[in-house]
Amino acid sequence: MFLALKEMARAKTRFGLLVAAIALLVFLILFQQSLQNGLITGFVGAIRNQNAPVLVYSVDGQRVVQGSIITPDLEAEVRAADGIGEVGRLGQSTFTGTLSGDGGATFDTTIIGYELGPDGQGLGAPAELVAGRYPAGDLEAVASTGGDDEFVLGDTVVLQPGGFAVEVVGLADDIQLNVAPTLFSSYDTWAGAVQSVNPDAGDPLPNVMVAAPADGVTDAQLVENINDRSLDLDALTRADAANETPGVSQVQQSFQLIFLLYGLVVPCVTGLFFLIVTFQKANSLTLLRAIGAPAGRLVASLLIQVVIMIGAGLIVGTALYYPLSQARLGGLSLRFETGAVVFWSILLLTLGVASSLVAARRVLRIDPIEATTGAGVGV
Amino acid sequence: MNLALKELRRRPGRFATATVIITLIAILLMFLGSLLDGLIRSSTGAIRAQDADAIVYSSTAQASFPRSRIDVDVRTQIEALPGVDEVGGIGLVQLGARVPGNGPRDLANVALFGYELEPEGVPAPPPDGQAYADEILKADNVEVGMTILVGPARTPVEVIGFVSDTSFNGQGGLWASEATWRSTLAENRPDAQLADGVWQALVVRGDDDIAVQIDAATSGATDSYTVSEAVNAIPGVEEQQGTFNQIIGVTIVVALVVIGLFFALLTVERLSLYGVLKALGAKSLTIFGGLMVQAVVVTLVASTVAGVLVVLLDLVIPPGSIPIFVSAGSILSSTALLLLAAAVGCSFSLRRVLKVDPASAIGTTG
Repeated sequence: MFLALKEMARAKTRFGLLVAAIALLVFLILFQQSLQNGLITGFVGAIRNQNAPVLVYSVDGQRVVQGSIITPDLEAEVRAADGIGEVGRLGQSTFTGTLSGDGGATFDTTIIGYELGPDGQGLGAPAELVAGRYPAGDLEAVASTGGDDEFVLGDTVVLQPGGFAVEVVGLADDIQLNVAPTLFSSYDTWAGAVQSVNPDAGDPLPNVMVAAPADGVTDAQLVENINDRSLDLDALTRADAANETPGVSQVQQSFQLIFLLYGLVVPCVTGLFFLIVTFQKANSLTLLRAIGAPAGRLVASLLIQVVIMIGAGLIVGTALYYPLSQARLGGLSLRFETGAVVFWSILLLTLGVASSLVAARRVLRIDPIEATTGAGVGV
Repeated sequence: MNLALKELRRRPGRFATATVIITLIAILLMFLGSLLDGLIRSSTGAIRAQDADAIVYSSTAQASFPRSRIDVDVRTQIEALPGVDEVGGIGLVQLGARVPGNGPRDLANVALFGYELEPEGVPAPPPDGQAYADEILKADNVEVGMTILVGPARTPVEVIGFVSDTSFNGQGGLWASEATWRSTLAENRPDAQLADGVWQALVVRGDDDIAVQIDAATSGATDSYTVSEAVNAIPGVEEQQGTFNQIIGVTIVVALVVIGLFFALLTVERLSLYGVLKALGAKSLTIFGGLMVQAVVVTLVASTVAGVLVVLLDLVIPPGSIPIFVSAGSILSSTALLLLAAAVGCSFSLRRVLKVDPASAIGTTG
């Protein structure tokens, strides 16, 4: 162990470069992990973090809230389904907005309208607020936090064209839809907003029905009951509705491919590095073996170096990742993913040690007698 | 150089590991490039197909069809401009369509356009109730002569022919008359219907700078783009390109690291041989040139294998599933980037080759 540490202390540049390479890869992995989670939360946070356990789309909507239209016939079918406890309407549209008194800079904003109920927490409301209160009536909204166009309490969002204004009275985390700042308002506020930007519009139909099962009925049973009533209805639990939104699984699959690549690269880099180092010090290792150093000790030194190098890379990479994880990227809010740090640290350390076993095998193959012939590690 | 090629021919196993790793990276690179091309094509085909000098949205629309609304008086203003030759309305509604023979929950995603000026490759507007379909809808079993039912109101639209590369946001384009579009919109999206004469956007032919002229003439009521600007303004297009290019860039760096490490390893293994070669009169640059040739050959072999596999993958993937578009340009550009990475990665070994002392050939090490 002493020898391993001394070697690293004397070859700071060489080992420093390996630490830098691993740190960069760790940083990239963790950053992309935050990016993935931020993207998915930005896409479907509004579905995942609203309070209705079941969402009912029309089959025509293909599981996109704005693409779904619930006709009066379909609405009646949902309301008549067995096992239904509560049910409400939900509408969603994307608008161009400006902030009152902000010089007219425009941004995209999504409005989700739900039936408020007596306390503003009717089905479809954000599950939890971080500031302010739920809407008490029309023209009030709970806004999503995060993103470049983040709202604050008291903001008035003015829709263009038409000048329809909505005041932000509450804030909630992770309730964005389609990576746009999102407002949860009363259903009538949403309907009014739709008609304000298009004077030709007829009465908007709800995009989705939100439902909760009656006592003794599970979410899955209610989903089944609703889907059995009509082939034009597509009921999903909250989690399924979020996960099966078009694009979510593709994002996850794309990132999994990228993570797999990184997961392969780190042990490749580590393994190749220690193999090269082992070749370079072949003569010294042979000499050490010739003067009585046991092979096990040399392998232990190698493994200690591997663990220290990868450990240092993980620490530096995580340190680089931390400030970036507090940042915003366009409309996305990133966050520090502790679980990802732990998972990748264990995985990369394990893979790194495994990859160095090739170099360890070379060390074990050293024949001390070759100190007299010069064959070394044996190429 | 001959020596390097001979080694490749006689000891191919030595290079197998690197070739396999680079092949995997090349497949990934070409697949990512083709996926990006496919995504962009499927998102933007309908706009790219426009034979226009400007696409005009309303000023607050953020280049979104559903949010745009061009009133009759604005159109009249634009038509009166001296640099304008032709003006046509265009409108969109995105819906699910029921295809005869498919399951009741198995809908095709369609983007139904009403148009006045025909895009490239699309004939003049068909009679009411009929449409030309983008050929990606063939993957949903749409056929010529078939009547599909569009949207929850099941508006019937008869497909009378296929056109290519006209999809929008990944949905197959359906190109129909103004009346078909208006009735489909009103029946299925009453919240988005528009009065007669009002369009979501205009397609304008005229002077090259007509987009600028239009916005100036309408006093800020419009937001006009050239076709290429309109393509980039489609929500998500630039973000997709940025993200994919970042991933592709990182993949190139990964290739560079792998090639660099592999040839560093080869060089370390052969230092004593290089010492002998130098003692026999070989120059450092000749030896390094040999390494470079090996790196280039390994990369070319890997890229060729990867190119073939990606083309096969493209043939195997059913149309309409993964939006992959494999082109020679994409494969060649990926190969060029990998060759660059190979050259840079291999050059890390140059210092080691230069340091080899010919005198070491007399001893035991390089």
